[in-house]
Amino acid sequence: MIQCLFLLSDAGDVILEKQWMGKRVERSICSWFWRQRSEMEDQDPPSVIASPTHYLLHIVREGVTFLACTASEMPPLLGIEFLCKVASVLENYLGGLNEDILKDNFVIVYEILDEMMDSGFPSTTEPSVLKEIIAPPNLVSRVLSVVTGTSSSLNAASPLATSSQVSWRASNVKHSNNEIYFDLVEEMDAVFNRDGFVVKCEAYGEIQATSRLSGMPELSLTFANADILHDVNFHPCVRYRAWEADQMLSFIPPDGAFKLMSYRVKGLKNPPLFVRPQLSSGEGICRVNVLVGLRGDPGKPVDAIIVQLPWPPSVVSTNLSPSVGTVTYSFSTKVSTWIIGRIPKDKSPCLSGTLQLEPGINRLEEFPTFLVGFKIQGTAVSGLKVDKMDIRNVEYRPYKGFRAVTRAASYEIRT
Amino acid sequence: MNADSGHRKGEIAELKSQLRQLAGSRAPGVEEVKRELYKKVISYMTIGIDVSSLFSEMVMCSATSDLVVKKMCYLYVGNYAKVHPDLALLTINFLQRDCQDDDPMIRGLALRSLCSLRVMNFVEYLVGSLRKALKDNNGYVRQVAAMGVLKLYHIAPTACIENDFVATLKSMLSQDPDAQVREWSRTVCVRCKRFWFWREPTMTVQTKIGRYYIASKSIKDFSEWAQCLVLDMVSKYIPVDPNETFDIMNLLEDRLQHSNSAVVLATIKVFLQLTISMADVHQQVYERIKAPLLTLISSGSPELSYAVLSHLHLLVMRAPILFSSDYKHFYCRYSDPSYVKKLKIEMLTAVASESNMYEIVTELSEYAANVDVGITREAIRAVGKIALNLCDVNAIVDRLLQFLEMERDYVTAETLVLVKDLVRKYPEWSHDCIAVVGNVSSKSIQEPKAKAALIWMLGEYSHDMLDAPYVLESFVDNWLEEDSPEVRLELLTAAAKIFFKRPPESQKLLGAALAAAVDDPDQDVHDRGLFYYRLLQQGVQTAESIVNPPKKAVSDFADIQNSEMRDRIFDEFNSLSVIYREPSYMFLDKEHRKLYEFSDEAAPTDVLPTQKLDANDNDLLLGAFDKEESQSGVSNGDDGPLSAPRSPSPTLLGDSVPPVSASNIPAAFGIDDLLGLNISTPPPPPPSLVLSSKPVLDSGTFQKKWSQLPVALSFEHPISAQSLKTTQPLLRHMQEKSVQCMASGGQSPTFKFFFFAQKADGMPGTGFFLVECLVHTSAGKASVKVKSEDSTFTAAFSDLFKSALSSFM
Repeated sequence: MIQCLFLLSDAGDVILEKQWMGKRVERSICSWFWRQRSEMEDQDPPSVIASPTHYLLHIVREGVTFLACTASEMPPLLGIEFLCKVASVLENYLGGLNEDILKDNFVIVYEILDEMMDSGFPSTTEPSVLKEIIAPPNLVSRVLSVVTGTSSSLNAASPLATSSQVSWRASNVKHSNNEIYFDLVEEMDAVFNRDGFVVKCEAYGEIQATSRLSGMPELSLTFANADILHDVNFHPCVRYRAWEADQMLSFIPPDGAFKLMSYRVKGLKNPPLFVRPQLSSGEGICRVNVLVGLRGDPGKPVDAIIVQLPWPPSVVSTNLSPSVGTVTYSFSTKVSTWIIGRIPKDKSPCLSGTLQLEPGINRLEEFPTFLVGFKIQGTAVSGLKVDKMDIRNVEYRPYKGFRAVTRAASYEIRT
Repeated sequence: MNADSGHRKGEIAELKSQLRQLAGSRAPGVEEVKRELYKKVISYMTIGIDVSSLFSEMVMCSATSDLVVKKMCYLYVGNYAKVHPDLALLTINFLQRDCQDDDPMIRGLALRSLCSLRVMNFVEYLVGSLRKALKDNNGYVRQVAAMGVLKLYHIAPTACIENDFVATLKSMLSQDPDAQVREWSRTVCVRCKRFWFWREPTMTVQTKIGRYYIASKSIKDFSEWAQCLVLDMVSKYIPVDPNETFDIMNLLEDRLQHSNSAVVLATIKVFLQLTISMADVHQQVYERIKAPLLTLISSGSPELSYAVLSHLHLLVMRAPILFSSDYKHFYCRYSDPSYVKKLKIEMLTAVASESNMYEIVTELSEYAANVDVGITREAIRAVGKIALNLCDVNAIVDRLLQFLEMERDYVTAETLVLVKDLVRKYPEWSHDCIAVVGNVSSKSIQEPKAKAALIWMLGEYSHDMLDAPYVLESFVDNWLEEDSPEVRLELLTAAAKIFFKRPPESQKLLGAALAAAVDDPDQDVHDRGLFYYRLLQQGVQTAESIVNPPKKAVSDFADIQNSEMRDRIFDEFNSLSVIYREPSYMFLDKEHRKLYEFSDEAAPTDVLPTQKLDANDNDLLLGAFDKEESQSGVSNGDDGPLSAPRSPSPTLLGDSVPPVSASNIPAAFGIDDLLGLNISTPPPPPPSLVLSSKPVLDSGTFQKKWSQLPVALSFEHPISAQSLKTTQPLLRHMQEKSVQCMASGGQSPTFKFFFFAQKADGMPGTGFFLVECLVHTSAGKASVKVKSEDSTFTAAFSDLFKSALSSFM
C-alpha cells in the first residue's frame, strides 16, 4: 500500500504532496529523507530505504524526486514501477519535468495522481486511457481559454461513454491522418580493457511506437532476424502466443505513444568505436595520449562522439590539446570532456598533453576509466531489422514510419 | 515571522470574504474568478499552510459546472473533512448531490470523494449512492463504484453483504460491456478476497483462489497491477499434483515477458514457490527466470535495477552454480552507484568457480584500482573470499600480493587482513606471502585490523622474517600511542610467540610487552598480561604449549548470514525483506505485516465469523506469530515499539573467528586445566528430564533463540492426525505434556507448529527446548526439528516429545 507521494525539488523542498489513505504521512519525512541524502554526500540513496516510521521508495527524474511512503510490507517493484509510470505520464502530459512546470500545473498533477492511484493501489496508469479522462494542457487549449475564457481541461467527450473490448484502447478513436511510427532505440553497454580487448559488449533495445490510427486496428509486425534477440518484454497489448509460435508481434495498439517491446542482445562483436589510451607518469607528471577511431564500418556515420576523462583526486591540473574537437576541464569534478562530434575523413582524433599531479605524488596510483558517448542514426547496432508491418480490421491505409538509432549507454575504456 | 503570519491570516480572511461573495452569484465571468480563488487556496494547501478555516465557504461555492473547480474542491474536502467532523454532514450533502449530476465525470469524482471520506457514521448515505452508481450507464462511474465497494467493505463489511454488492460485482466482472469496468471489478474482488469465503465456506481460501483463478485462466483480464495481487495468491496455492504445477506454470509463462517489472517478479515468485519441493524442476525454473531478470537490470532505470538486483542477489546466493556462466552480467558499470556495485561484487564472489575464476579476479582487480575507496576495499575482500572458497589459489595469491605493491594505505591494509586469513587456510603459501609481507613498511599501516594482522604474522612466522623482533620492538616502544586494545592484545601474544622461537633476541621485547600490558588500562590486555606472566612462571614449555600450540589449517571460515535466515527471506521473495536482507518479522511492525491490507485507523467494527480463518490467508509464520498471545496463554512481554525498522544486527563473530558455538565446549574444562587444578570430572550420569509446567517465553525471545541455535536433532515420527482439521486439538494435547505452543498455522493436510518447553529446575530464562513441527495429516507423520539450549538433555527431551506425539489421538 502506498500511502502518499511527495514530489521534491532538487533542493529538497516539497513541490506537492498527495495522500491516498486516511492516515496522513507528515511532511517531516521528507526532511528525514533529504538528510540521508546529504549524509551520503549528495549521492542518491538506494531506491528503497527504511525511515524510523515508514519505508520510503523513490526515483529521481530530471532533478525531481518522487518519494512514496508505505508502512506495510509490499512488493518493492510494484512501488517503483508505479513511480516510474507516474513520472513518465507527468512528463508526457506537461512536456517536461521540473519544479516550475510542476508548480504551474499543480491542478492537473493532482488530477492525474488522483486517477493513477486509489486508496493506495495503482488504478489507471495507461496513458491513452488517462488522456480520455484528463485532457492534456496543450498550447491550443491554453490559447483558447485565454481568448474565449472557457475552461481548458474539460474534455469534450465524456470518458468511457462508449464501452470498449480492450481496456487499453477506447473504441471510438478517430484521426484525420492515420499514421503509425516505430522507433528502434538501442543502447550499447561495452567495456574495454587496457589492451583494447572487449571485456563485455551487449545492447538493450526498445521499440517505441506512436500510434494515431482510427478504429480498432489489428497490427502485426515481423522481424527479419528475430532469433538474435536474447530476451524480450512486451506491452500488455502484445499477444504472446503469436510471438511464441511465429516470432510475430500481433497487437491492437493503444492510442498515442507507448513502449511496444524491449529486448536484450548478448555478446555483440562489433562495438563501433575504439579508444586507445596511453598514460605514463613519473616525477609528478602524467603524460596522456588518447586515440579514437572507428572499429569496422557501422554502416551509418557515428555522430556526437564525446569522451569523458574523469581524473583521480591526485590530479591537480590538466594541459591537454585535441587534434579534432574541443576539450574542457572542470576543476570541481576533475573531469576532462573531449567533444569530437563526427570523425573527419582525413584526420584521426588524438588527445595529448600532460597532467600535473599533487605535490609529493610521483605517479598516478589509480587507473581512470574513460566514458564514451556516441549516436548512430539510422541503424540498430544489434542488426535487428523490421521485415514488414501489416494492418487489418480497418478500411484505410495508414502511413507507416520506421526509424532506428543507437546510443552508447555505458561505453567504458579502462586505462 | 509574526508579521508574516499576520499577513497570511489577513490573506486568508480576504479569501474567505471573496468566496462568500461568490457563493450563489451567477454573474458572468464568476467561474473564472472562482477558479483563480480555488487555485490560490489549493496552492496554499500545497505549500503546507492550514486553510481549513475556509471549509464552509469552499463547499458553498462548489455549485459549478466547471470540472476543474469541482476537482479542486474535492481535493480540498478530502484533505480537511477529518479535521472538521462538524462540517462532514454538509460535505456529504454536497457530494451526494453531485452524485446525481448530469456529467458522468462529476458523478464519478463525487462518488470517489464520498467513498474516500471513510467516516463510519455515514455508511447509510454511501450505500444509496453506491447502489445507484453500480448501475450507472457510464463506464467511468461504474468503475468508481466498484472501487467504492472495496472502500465500504473496509469500513463496514456487513453493509456490503446486506446490500448484495458482492453479487453485483461478481456479475459485473464477467458481464459488464466495458473491458475496463470488468478489469476494475476483478481488481476489487481480488482485493477483498474474503468475499469468496462467504459464499462457499467449506473450501479453504488457497484452494479456492487457486482453483478459481487458474481454472478461469483469466489472468490477462486483470489490470497489470491486479495481476500482481492474483499472482501473489497463486504463489500461496499448493497444487494437488505435479501436473497442476506444470499447468499453472504453462499458463503463466508469458507473464515473464510482461513489460511491468512488478508482474515479472510476482510471476517468478509463483514459479519458485510452486516448485520448491521439486528439486530438478526448481533448478529449471532458475534457468528460465534468469533472462527476464537480467533484462530488467539492463532496462536503464537505476532505481528499478537496484530492486531487481536485490532479488537476483538472493537467487545467486542460493544457487551460485546456476549463475556461474552469467558472471559478466555482474560486472560493475562505471556509473553504477556504490550500493549497486557492492551488490554486484558480492554476486561475483558467489558465482566464482574454477572455470570463471581467472576472469572474475581480473575484473575485481580493476575495481581495486577504483577511485572509490569503499569499492576498492570491497573488491579486495572479494578477491580474498574467492581465494578462501576455491582450492586453486595459485593465481589469486599473486594478485593479492600485487595489491601490496600498489602502495596505497587502505589497499595494503585490506590486503594484509586477507593474507593473514589466507595463510591460516593454506599454510603451504605462507613462505611466498611472508616474503612480500616482510617488505611492507609497518609505518604505512594505520588501521587496527591491518596492524593486528601484520603483528600476528610477525609472531607466527618470525622464523621466516629476520627482522621480526625489531619490527615488533618498535611497536612495543609505541605501546602507549596505540589506541586499539585489539592491536595491543595481538602485540602481546606475538611477543610471547617470538620469545618461544628466538629467546635470545626477544627476551627484552617480551619483558617490555608484559610490563606494558600489566599496566594497561584495558581490562582484557591487563588480564592477558598477567595470565602470560603466571603461565611463564610455570615454565616456558607449559606456556608455549598453551600460547602457541601447533595449529591446523582452518578449513572453513564462518559464514556471515546463516542459510536458515536466507531461506526465510527466500520465502518472502518479492517483498521489502529481500532488499533489507532480513525476514519481515525482524523489521516490520506486527500491525503492518499483512500484505496489501488496509492500514487505516477505521478498523472493521463488525466481527466476522471468518476472521478466525484469517491466519490461513497470510504467510503461515507471520500470521501465526500474530496469534500466539490468544492461543498459548503465555504471558507475553511487550515487544516494545517495533514500528521502527531495526537495523541489521551486528554479526557476532568477528571477521575470521572459526565457528565455535559456546554451548558445544565445556568451558570449565579448559580453564581448570590451565590453572593446573587437574580435577577429573566424572562423566555426567544420563540426565533425567522434568519439564516446567509453566515455562515463560515471549515470541521475540523465541525467534532470537530459534535463529541462534543450531538444529540439535531432527526426526520424523508417526502421528495419528488424520482427523486433524484445526491446530487446536494438538495444541491442547501438547500443553498437557508441558510443551507449549508459540505459534501455529496451516490447514489440512499440512500444519506447522512452533513449540517450546523448559527444564523444570533450570534458571529462569534458560534451559529451553524449541521445536518446529510439521504435521502431514494425510501421511500420518510429523517432521520435527529440535533446538536445545542444553545439549545434554536433547535426547531426553526428544523422547518425551515423541511419546507425547504418539499418545495423540
